[in-house]
Amino acid sequence: MFPTINWSLISLESFMTLTLVVLVIMDISLPKKTNRDWIGIVSFGSLFGLIAFWLTQHNLSGSTFGGMFVMDSLAWFFKGFFLLAMVFVFAMTQQYFKALGGRRNEFYLLLWLALIGMSLIASAADFLILFIALEIMTISLYVMTAYLKSDKLSLEAGMKYLILGALSSGFFLYGISFLYGVTHSTRFEAILGYVGTHAMNPMMLFGMVLVFSAVAFKIAAIPFHMWVPDVYQGAPTPVTALLSVGSKAAGFVMLMRLFFGIFAPWHQEWGLTLAVLSAITMTYGNLVAMFQTNIKRLLGYSSISHAGYLLMGAAAGTVLGASAMNFYLLGYLFTNLAAFLVIVLVFVAIKSDEIADYAGLSKRSGLLAATLLLALVSLAGMPPLAGFFGKFALLVSVIQSGYTWLALIAAVNIVISLYYYLLIVKRIYVDAPKVTSPILVSSSMKLLLSFAILGIIVIGIFQGPFLDAAITAVRGMAFGFIK
Amino acid sequence: MITPNLSLILLAPLAGLGLVLMTPSDKTSLIRKIANLTLLVPFLLSAWVFVSYDAALGGYQFIQKIPWVVPFGISYHLGVDGINSLMLLLLGLASFAAVMVSASIKERVKEYYILLLITVIGTYGAFLSLDIFFFYFFHEIAAIPVFLMIAIWGSERREYAAMKLTLYLVAGAAVALIGLIALYLHTGVGSFDLVVIQQRLALHPIPFAVQNWIFPLIVVGFGVTLTLWPFHTWAPVGYTEAPTAISMLHAGVLKKMGAYAIIRFAIQLMPEAAHAWMPIIATLAIVNILFCGLVALTQRDIKYVLAYSSCSHMGYILLGLACFNGIGINGVVFLMFAHGIMAALAFAVTGFVTDQTKTRNLDELGGLAKIMPFVATCFIMAAFASAGVPGFGNFVAEILVLLASWDQYRGLSVLAVLGIVITAIYMLKAIRLGFHGPLNPKLASKITDAHSFETKLPFVLLLTVLIVIGCWPAGILNHIGSSTKPIAERIR
Repeated sequence: MFPTINWSLISLESFMTLTLVVLVIMDISLPKKTNRDWIGIVSFGSLFGLIAFWLTQHNLSGSTFGGMFVMDSLAWFFKGFFLLAMVFVFAMTQQYFKALGGRRNEFYLLLWLALIGMSLIASAADFLILFIALEIMTISLYVMTAYLKSDKLSLEAGMKYLILGALSSGFFLYGISFLYGVTHSTRFEAILGYVGTHAMNPMMLFGMVLVFSAVAFKIAAIPFHMWVPDVYQGAPTPVTALLSVGSKAAGFVMLMRLFFGIFAPWHQEWGLTLAVLSAITMTYGNLVAMFQTNIKRLLGYSSISHAGYLLMGAAAGTVLGASAMNFYLLGYLFTNLAAFLVIVLVFVAIKSDEIADYAGLSKRSGLLAATLLLALVSLAGMPPLAGFFGKFALLVSVIQSGYTWLALIAAVNIVISLYYYLLIVKRIYVDAPKVTSPILVSSSMKLLLSFAILGIIVIGIFQGPFLDAAITAVRGMAFGFIK
Repeated sequence: MITPNLSLILLAPLAGLGLVLMTPSDKTSLIRKIANLTLLVPFLLSAWVFVSYDAALGGYQFIQKIPWVVPFGISYHLGVDGINSLMLLLLGLASFAAVMVSASIKERVKEYYILLLITVIGTYGAFLSLDIFFFYFFHEIAAIPVFLMIAIWGSERREYAAMKLTLYLVAGAAVALIGLIALYLHTGVGSFDLVVIQQRLALHPIPFAVQNWIFPLIVVGFGVTLTLWPFHTWAPVGYTEAPTAISMLHAGVLKKMGAYAIIRFAIQLMPEAAHAWMPIIATLAIVNILFCGLVALTQRDIKYVLAYSSCSHMGYILLGLACFNGIGINGVVFLMFAHGIMAALAFAVTGFVTDQTKTRNLDELGGLAKIMPFVATCFIMAAFASAGVPGFGNFVAEILVLLASWDQYRGLSVLAVLGIVITAIYMLKAIRLGFHGPLNPKLASKITDAHSFETKLPFVLLLTVLIVIGCWPAGILNHIGSSTKPIAERIR
C-alpha cells in the first residue's frame, strides 16, 4: 500500500520541475544554431508566475509522502525568499553573460535546479530528503562555480568548493547514521520524540555535531568557512550572489529545523556553544575583511561575519531569536543582492572587481554609487535601513537570553565592519575617478536597482509587517519546540 | 486654538528633501533656495511649538502616537516638554543658520544639500521622539551623512577626520544601544515608550545591581557623543576638518543629543545608579574642563581652539548632571541651549573668515577687524559668551551649574571656575591674534566683510538669541524648570 500523496503541498516544486523539464527538452531538441536567449526571458517570466502562485499558498500547511515532506509557515517564508532572490540572480546572470558572451543556456537550467533544491530544503522533514535536497542545490552550485572554463580562478573555486563540499556532505551522512542508530528513524518527528524524552548522550552529541558541521559549511560559520573567500572571488558573480544569499539562507532554514525544532529540547546543552561560535565567526570575518582589495572577496568575508551575527539568534534559542534571524535574512536579501547587482553592472562596464577601480563611481553613475552606498551602510547596520532593525532584533534576543557579552562583542563588530564598508564608500564618493566616462545602466536594470533600494529602505522604516511575517513563520513551524 | 502638529516638523523637510532629489543637479541656485526654505519651515514650526508649549501645565504636550512595531512595543511617539521643545528651537536656529552659511559651497551642491537635510531631519526626529527606539533610530541617521560631508567637503585631513569621528560616535552609540536594550528588557513592560517606562519605573524601579551595570553603558556610550574625556579625541579633528555647516551643527546641536539621552534615559530612569556613578563622571568632567581647556590654550589653529573649547565646556554639562538638584539640571539644559547657539555662531564666523583667508593659522591671521568689523564683532561676542561674560546666555547657565555643584563638589567647583578663566585666556588670545593687531598684508586684498542680508542674517539671528537669553533668562527658564522639576524630584 502506498500512502496517499497530497500533491497540492508540493505543487510549487512540481511547477519548478516542470519548467526545468520543458526548458531542458526544448534546449536539447532545438537545432544548435538557434538563438537561445529566450531561455533567460522564459525563466524570468516563469519566476514571476511562480511568485504569484506562491502568494496563494500562504495558508497551506500539512505533510505528505508519509511525513517526509512538510509544508508550514517556515517553508512558505523561505520559498518566497528563494524565489525573490532568484529574481535578482536571473537578472544578474543575463547582464553578466551578455558581457562575457558565449553559451549560457545551461546556466539558467542549473539555476532552476538550485532553486528546486533550496525549496525542498525548506520543506524537508526527514534527513534523507534533506540530504537529497541539499545535494541537488550543492551540485548545481559546484557546476556553476566552475562555469567560466577559461578562467583559472573560477576553476580553482569550483575545485575547492567541490572537495570541501563533498567532505561536508560526508560528515552530514555520517552524522545522520548516528542519529539513526540511536533513534531508529530519519524522520524529524521521530527524532524530536526521542530528544524530548531523553537526556543528551554521546552518540547523539556526535551525530549532532557532524550534522551541524554540514550546516555550518553552508552558512559559512567558523571553522567551516575556508572555502568562502576563494569561491566567492572566483565564481561568476551571479553565483557568488546566490551563494551569499540563497545557499546561506538554505543553511539557516536547516539550522532552524534542527536547533529550533528537533534539538530544541536540549537548548541548554548547545546554546553557549553557538554563542561562542557566533562571536568567533563575526569577529574573524570582520577582522579579515578589513584588508581585502577585491570587492567580491571582501563581501565573502563580510558574509562570514553576517553568518556570525545570524548565529546570535540561534544561540538565543527563542521565538524572538528565530524571528530576528528571519527578519535579518530578509533585509540581507535586498541589501546583499543590491550590492552584488551593482558589482555585476560595474564589472560589465569596467571588467574589474578591484575596489581601487571603484574610485569616483559616484561621478560615473549616481544610481550605482547610491545603491552601493545604501547596501554597504545597511550591511553595517545603520538606520534607517533594513540591516539596522535586523541587528537590533538579534541584539534584543541575545540580551534577553542572557548573553550580554555576545551583544557587546557584536557592538564592537559593528564598528569594525563600518570601518571597511566606509573605506569603500570613501572610494566611490570621495576619490577622483581614474576614468571619467559615465557608466550607463539600462532602464530595466534601473528598475531592479530601484526595487532593491526600495526594499532596503521600506524594510528599514516600516519594520512592523516584515517582523510579523518573520514571527508568523516561526510560530507556525512544524516540529517547533521553542519557548 | 490650533495646536502644532509635531509630525509636520519631520514631514516638511522630508518633502523638501524629495524636491531636492528631483531637481537636476546643475540648477544649483534653485537647489539652494529649496534647501533654505526646507529648513526655514521646521525652524518656524519649532519656534511655534516652543511658544505654544504651556509651561504652567508641564509634562509632555502635542503628543502623537502610532504603534509601530507591536511585538517589541515600539511606537512612533512624538511629544515635547520644556527640555526638548528648547532643543528643537536650538536645532531650528542652528540648522537654519547652517544652511544659510552653506552658500559658500560651490562643488557637488546637490549632494551636499541632500546630506545636510538628512542630517537635520534625523536630529529633529531624535529630539521629537518619546520612544527610546526611535530616539536611537533617528540619532544614528546623521552618522553616515556627516561622514560623507566631512570626507567630501572638509579640509586637508578630511578623510582621517571623517573616519575617526564616525567610528567613535558609532562605537559609543552601539555600546549605549546595548544599555538601552538591557534597560528595556529589565523594565518588564515590554515597551520602548519613554512615558510607559517612566510610569512603570516610578512604581517598580530596576534592582540596583542591574542598574549599576546598565547605567555606565548608557552614560559612557552617549558620553562619547558628548566628548566625555578620554573619549573626546574625535571632536577636535572632526570639527576642524568639517565644512562649516557640519561644525556648527555638530558642535552646536548633534553632540547635545548625548546629554539629552543621558538626562532622559540614564539619570531619570536609573536614579540609584546615577548616585553611585555620577561622582566619578563629575571628576572626569573636571578633567574635560581643564585638560581640553589647557590644550585649547596651546592651539594655533582657530578651529582647533573652538573645538577644544567645545569639548571643555561639555564638562560643565556633566558636572551639572552630577549634582542631582533642580538648579543643576536647569543649568545643564540652559547650557546645552546657550552653548549650542554660541558654538554655531563661533564656527559660522570662523568659517566665513577662513573661506576667504584660506588659512586657519592664528599666526597668519591678524587685524581682520579692520577690514571685517561686522564679522569680527560677532566673533568677539561669541568669544565673550563662551568665556562666561554676563549678558550672554552662557553666563547664566554656568552660574547655575556652579551654584548647584558648590555644596557637593567644592574642590571640583573651584577647578571648574578655573576653567572659565582658562576659557577667557584662550578666547582673548584668539581675538588678539586673529582680529586685532597689525593686518597681514597678504590677506588685505583678499577679504571683505559680510555685506549682503543673506550673509549677515545667520550671524545676527544667533547673536540676538544669545543676548536675549542672557538678559532675560526667564524666557527659557520657565520652560526648562517646568520639565526638570519632576526629574529633580525623582533623582533627589
